[in-house]
Amino acid sequence: MATDRTAEVTWHGDLKSGEGRIDSVSSGAIGGLDVDWRARSEDAGSKTSPEELIAAAHASCLSMALSNGLAEAGHAAEELKTSATVTFQPGEGITKIALQVSGRVPGMDDDAFQQAAETAKENCPVSKALASVPEISLSARLES
Amino acid sequence: MTWEGNVARGSGTISAATGAFTSLPYSLATRIEKPDDKTSPEELLAAAHAACFAMALASELTSAGSPPEHLDVRATVTLDEVEDGSHRIVSSELLARARVKELDGETLDRLARSASEGCPLSKLIEAGATVTVTAILEGDTDGD
Repeated sequence: MATDRTAEVTWHGDLKSGEGRIDSVSSGAIGGLDVDWRARSEDAGSKTSPEELIAAAHASCLSMALSNGLAEAGHAAEELKTSATVTFQPGEGITKIALQVSGRVPGMDDDAFQQAAETAKENCPVSKALASVPEISLSARLES
Repeated sequence: MTWEGNVARGSGTISAATGAFTSLPYSLATRIEKPDDKTSPEELLAAAHAACFAMALASELTSAGSPPEHLDVRATVTLDEVEDGSHRIVSSELLARARVKELDGETLDRLARSASEGCPLSKLIEAGATVTVTAILEGDTDGD
């Protein structure tokens, strides 16, 4: 079954001095988030940006894919902590995504965890959608 | 970003470095079924795409001498099960409503297409999925 998720944005004015707002999303989980060019390309202040939202999308996607892979291998994770850092180069685009994950996974050895993390990185839907980003790196750490 | 438990029954939370959003809940059930107040990677990607496209369209319109008074952009990202049983992001549909003085629908269409070509996220998604753009001119050119 296909799943649709929608987001609504309002923008006023030009790119450099104008301002926008992510008004709402399907789930209602976020809304009223301000976005503008300065926050995106220079100092974020406390405003979000497309790249920050991509980071949130990618980190959550990797977490879900990895939790699935670990459970299928018989080692359900107690906890996964994931971060994604998306690098935006104005004029060039998104040049890099750095993923970091640390996991508390009872009974699993580091090699198997590294492999599961790499598989999750390759296969999660957001990774596939963003596969043409020049560099996507992953650092995985198993917590004892 | 944290995740606890396996993919089917586990759940996680998402926070942004800027503090623009914190501790958003998400889970698999709400990702592929009903959102139930929880966000998902695809919803965050939709928010990123809508914001990215809104900025790109504001830029195109400004370069064409018609900075927008008001833009409403909606992005709908579709996750679907593909032949091998895995989930893929298959499309992102952009719908823009623009209030712009002295602009005709045909020019808006053209600028909206180049805005999508100029939005880094559209370019990335297009490598593996479909991006569609629809732009509608709102109201009259009376500045209302």
